[in-house]
Amino acid sequence: MPLITRLFIKTGLVYFVISLLIGISSQIPSLHFPAITPLFWHMLMLGWITQIIIGVSLWMFPGRKKEESFQNQRLGWIAYAGLNSGLFLRVISEPLIYAYPNTIWGELLVVSAVLHFVGIGSYVLEIWPRVMSRKQRLNRRKKRK
Amino acid sequence: MPLISRWMIRLSLVYLLLGLTAGSLMLINKAWMVHPLLWAALPAHIEWMIFGWIIQFTLGTAYWILPRFLDSKSRGNEPMAWTMLLSLNLGIWFIIADGFSLIPYAGLSGRVLETLGVVLFALLHWKRIVTYGDHEH
Repeated sequence: MPLITRLFIKTGLVYFVISLLIGISSQIPSLHFPAITPLFWHMLMLGWITQIIIGVSLWMFPGRKKEESFQNQRLGWIAYAGLNSGLFLRVISEPLIYAYPNTIWGELLVVSAVLHFVGIGSYVLEIWPRVMSRKQRLNRRKKRK
Repeated sequence: MPLISRWMIRLSLVYLLLGLTAGSLMLINKAWMVHPLLWAALPAHIEWMIFGWIIQFTLGTAYWILPRFLDSKSRGNEPMAWTMLLSLNLGIWFIIADGFSLIPYAGLSGRVLETLGVVLFALLHWKRIVTYGDHEH
């Protein structure tokens, strides 16, 4: 299993646990904070499920470059950095824009949206050409040789 | 990877981009009010992300990766698989149309179509969820 996949899966597991802890705190009025519901759902759906899907597909889909280097897995690394920095920034800034509207937290939330876009866009660019038939995979392998 | 899986996985990637665009715009709208009507995209964002992206990607990958039938090496009834794909995707768009009140009974029709897609998926894969262990000896 390549390093990028291990990172996606392990980060996903961390988000899974944190999202459920937030789910528990959402049921306790004294532990409530602003934007708790969207944060719970996004940590679960994006932080956990989407990261697991991305990590496993980068590993299992045909056409993977087996030699590990930043260059060979460049789009995967950009996806990891974009998605996780974007999500982390959102988790911090989204509750704070309710407490401090019209401050830097608003700008950081916009940055987080852009980072999400960069991350997911890089993943789509990486995986789209790897959605191929057996025949296409064999032809590609022949060309490489 | 069979054609049906390629279609489902690529469609799921398109839905991922659509859902992401809607989600990013709504997130930006929280910080800087771009337009109050952007919130109307919330049901479409949820539908694209859950049914379009997560569920369709998973079903498309399962169609590819689960064991094929030993005797024919096929993945089962192809017209049924295409109906599954069509039904699931039509269902997604009916649900989105319902969010904008475009078609009467669109919500109900959408959920019925999605259910049909999932039932067809279960029927197609039920006998493919096997172990080859007994055939090796």
